[in-house]
Amino acid sequence: MKQVICISSFFLLFYSGFSQQKFTINGTIKDASNGEALIGVTVFISEIKNGVTTNEYGFYAITLPTATYSISYSYVGFQLISKTIELNKDTQLNIELLPETEQLQEVVVQAEIEQANVQNLEMSTNKLEIKTILRIPTLFGESDVLRSLQLLPGVSTVGEGASGFNVRGGGVGQNLILLDEAPVYNSSHLFGFFSVFNPDAVKDTKLYKGAIPSRYGGRLASILDVRMKEGNSKKLEVTGGIGSVFSRLAVEGPLIKDKASFIIAVRRSYIDVLARPFVQLLKDGGALNFYDLTMKTNYNINRKNRVYLSGYFGRDNFKFDKTQGFNWGNSTATVRWNHLFNERLFSNLTLVYSKYDYSLQFGKDDRNRFSWNSSITNFILRPQFTYFINSKNELNFGGDAVYYTFAPANAVGVTNGKSVDISLGKKYNLETALHIGNSQKLTSAFSIEYGLRFSNFQSLGPGTTYDYNDTIPGIRKSVTGAKIYKSGETIASYRNLEPRLSFKVQGNETSSVKGSYNRMVQYLHLISNTTASNPLDVWNPSSNNIKPQIADQFTLGYFKDIGEARKYELSLESYLRYTQNQLDYIDGADLLINRYLEGDLLSGSGRAYGLETYFQKKTGRLTGWVSYTLGRTELKVDGINRGEWYETRYNQTHNLKIAAFYDINSRWSVSGNFIYTSGTPTTFPTSRYIQQGILIPYNVNESRNNVHLKSYHRLDISFRLEGKKVKNDKERKNADYWVFSLYNVYGRRNPFSIYFSQNDMRVPAGQPLQSQATQLSIIGSIIPSISYNFKF
Amino acid sequence: MKNIHRIWNGILLAAILFSCEDKISPTLERSTPVLVVDAWLNNRPGFQTINLTQTQAYFDNTSPPAVSGAVVTVRDDKGTTFSFPEDDKKMGDYIWKPLANEVFGMIGNRYTLTIKVNGETFESSSYMGRVPVIDSITFDTEKRIGSKDSLTRAEFWAVDPAGHGDAYWIRSYKNGVLLNKPSEMNVAYDAGFSAGGETDGVTFITPIRRGINSNDQDGTGRNLSPFLPGDSVNVQIHSITRAAFNYLHEVRIQTDRPGGFQELFSTPLANVSTNISNMKANGTKALGFFNVANVSSAGKRYKK
Repeated sequence: MKQVICISSFFLLFYSGFSQQKFTINGTIKDASNGEALIGVTVFISEIKNGVTTNEYGFYAITLPTATYSISYSYVGFQLISKTIELNKDTQLNIELLPETEQLQEVVVQAEIEQANVQNLEMSTNKLEIKTILRIPTLFGESDVLRSLQLLPGVSTVGEGASGFNVRGGGVGQNLILLDEAPVYNSSHLFGFFSVFNPDAVKDTKLYKGAIPSRYGGRLASILDVRMKEGNSKKLEVTGGIGSVFSRLAVEGPLIKDKASFIIAVRRSYIDVLARPFVQLLKDGGALNFYDLTMKTNYNINRKNRVYLSGYFGRDNFKFDKTQGFNWGNSTATVRWNHLFNERLFSNLTLVYSKYDYSLQFGKDDRNRFSWNSSITNFILRPQFTYFINSKNELNFGGDAVYYTFAPANAVGVTNGKSVDISLGKKYNLETALHIGNSQKLTSAFSIEYGLRFSNFQSLGPGTTYDYNDTIPGIRKSVTGAKIYKSGETIASYRNLEPRLSFKVQGNETSSVKGSYNRMVQYLHLISNTTASNPLDVWNPSSNNIKPQIADQFTLGYFKDIGEARKYELSLESYLRYTQNQLDYIDGADLLINRYLEGDLLSGSGRAYGLETYFQKKTGRLTGWVSYTLGRTELKVDGINRGEWYETRYNQTHNLKIAAFYDINSRWSVSGNFIYTSGTPTTFPTSRYIQQGILIPYNVNESRNNVHLKSYHRLDISFRLEGKKVKNDKERKNADYWVFSLYNVYGRRNPFSIYFSQNDMRVPAGQPLQSQATQLSIIGSIIPSISYNFKF
Repeated sequence: MKNIHRIWNGILLAAILFSCEDKISPTLERSTPVLVVDAWLNNRPGFQTINLTQTQAYFDNTSPPAVSGAVVTVRDDKGTTFSFPEDDKKMGDYIWKPLANEVFGMIGNRYTLTIKVNGETFESSSYMGRVPVIDSITFDTEKRIGSKDSLTRAEFWAVDPAGHGDAYWIRSYKNGVLLNKPSEMNVAYDAGFSAGGETDGVTFITPIRRGINSNDQDGTGRNLSPFLPGDSVNVQIHSITRAAFNYLHEVRIQTDRPGGFQELFSTPLANVSTNISNMKANGTKALGFFNVANVSSAGKRYKK
């Protein structure tokens, strides 16, 4: 009932002052060079000093009273287009924007044009243009979406080789990573060194760290929305690159000119191919590689209907010989249908299939072997509607239905010819949500966005649940009972209301204050107690024993444009987040192939707070940004650290990032980034003792994360050389460039961890054991690399 | 699952040659001494020793300080008391010496350990479970990957008796020397690795059968062949309680730190549990473990 009142009060807000005759201007905005729809283009109406931005499909709509209007379309990196129209009927205006040419790069964007960050209602979001990603110096010279993201305020990682990323002190499993709306459960190749997103196929990435709109849900810390390119609808284009770790090739082009296009992009690593003649293991059938395939096609049926089909398939392969090995990967498929019900009601229906799985095989012969695979599969149905009510209100509503199948372990061991099936039962779950949200301009200075998400999670039979005894916190629990559920029976269910609210107060043309509150609920849990997240980590749904995680986040920020033509942008944002039902693990917990896993879990609460400052220079020969985050994130779990608050492993007090890009001349450019972060929290022992000849470390204070590693800092530089534009007095049809990069320029041995152990030498009886501490640096030297990239 | 990680490690290190390790001496928080009880008893013929020491600062590389003057007894549920007087040669060692043909412990019995020291009383209990006999020990030799020489490994064959919840610590001796590096610790729950993956009543799984080999490297980090012609192996299966299984599982997690890329998969440093408790609820803490094991054993010499 409460919801009904809420929803009806939404509508009451709009139906006021609707007497004058009004018409709608709508359309799609595209890049004139390749036909890609542009996301977030500002459509500004001078007469009302107000405007809208294009959605994820490049669509916009605005409803105004009859009059003559001058409309301007502006987007960073593109030439501004202005139109004057006499609005006396519903009008469709599809616009193609021309990219700025080199000479135009310093052209001043007109000051009256609405500038995204200060005047936009959004806060706590970061957009990374693929153009920027391609210029950031990287490990082995391979451009990477996730590693680039780590240069933004509030985003961090626990170190090289760790999968995933951390946002505002959230865990790796608290980010929802969407690739064309399909959830990606493991975003890494080769552990954490590369991400699964092929930059050749990515159009746009947007990270929501706070003020999350009601259409998103399911994770506590952030939503990373990665949108794939649609493919060039004007001409056939081939892009590619040859790097030191992998090569890439992408083909895109029109299927039917301006109506249908496609893109297919592939990558494959070739360390093993190159090394095969030299490494016996590889000659014997061993393998070490990864590859991925990203594809998308779309068809513009008519003015009111457009369909998209996109897919991803990627895999990492490790083989020790012909029969033994380990592999993992994601596959996703997304079908989308954009439909315009009328001039003002835009809809999109999305169907998604997504699967993450891994498998291992061991054993020399059929009498003694072990095979194990694990997967998470989901099907998603997601209708979304945007109703462009008038120039002041934009209403979004829709729903989500996700059906999950978890197969934690299909495992069979054969020992001495006898087969033992130690598989764990599958888990079936349904997550549904309804959401509504309105973005409303109350006055020229004050805007708000308010919304509500109602989520519902059900754990369904068939399945077996276990009950556990209550022990002293931190001591392993024992099973006290089991209950078997039949197919279709509800094992456990949870419902939550997730209110979302954000506001903006415009001080003057160039400054604003924004704030937000949102509640997020997470029903899936990434189970991982290792130093870094890794491909074997399993996802576990909420159940009778595991409650959904809940986060309440408050943000407040100040945004300012500085300088002529808003050359500089400054933002200060503070956040405060309280979380409930955070998972941690009993010491000695067994997380893999354990039917009593839930008995090894602990639950507690968390808090994270911080201040993010961001300063960006947007135009000129030198561009770039400085980002500094001061933050803290802690957990409090009975049974860990004497039940007191402790810092999480990904807590970083100081996090400074500088990224700079400089054009030396028309062919050479240089990019650099510098990272400084406080040392990672870790646990050191105080004491040692011996048990049956084994040296055991002991912390007399029972502390967790009581000390910090040395701080982390690193400088990376890359040089880019554009190929000649003119050859033999003729303009070249192809474009190419070289990238020379240096990662970890001054070769710092940044600590990944410090571990304590007894010396590995065999000690004669009666001699004392020697204890030692070892600091590990995953990357302990400078890494130079070269890559060649082309386009024709 | 440790074994899986071990295999990745070699492969990944080959791929990523940029990692490096440094021995360091960080400053640690101050430690205060805690009583440590090392009481792993069994029914093999001979003396049974309980060792009492204190914890020491982590980087104190001397022998741990002995705790002298305690009164140590073990009592079974049939009314027999075994006394463990302190050894007059080695302080901190409390030894039960059998009379002729006397053996410590009997299958199915429950045992209570009592330690009275410095005005405090500590207790613990254990249970002697069953163990399977070792049917045979075999050796196999395989060519080392990418090299001409070969590695010879031993494997023991035994079948876990039907019925859930048996736990074992398999201890092996090479040429009479106990293999007790953390990486050589070999514990089994039924015939497999853990309670959660039910592997009951079958032959021990391969990694456990082969977990009786020494783990030694030469100066360049290459694995040495565990056995060379003429070497002998002696395998003992010790029955342990489920609490002891959990304890040793934790010990392995905390002590087997081969480093390198495998650190990515290590868990945070944490204190391992104990089954020694102070009779006074707010008395001082003690560490260590008490277990009474039933042992089966077999040996074999490797001849080429």
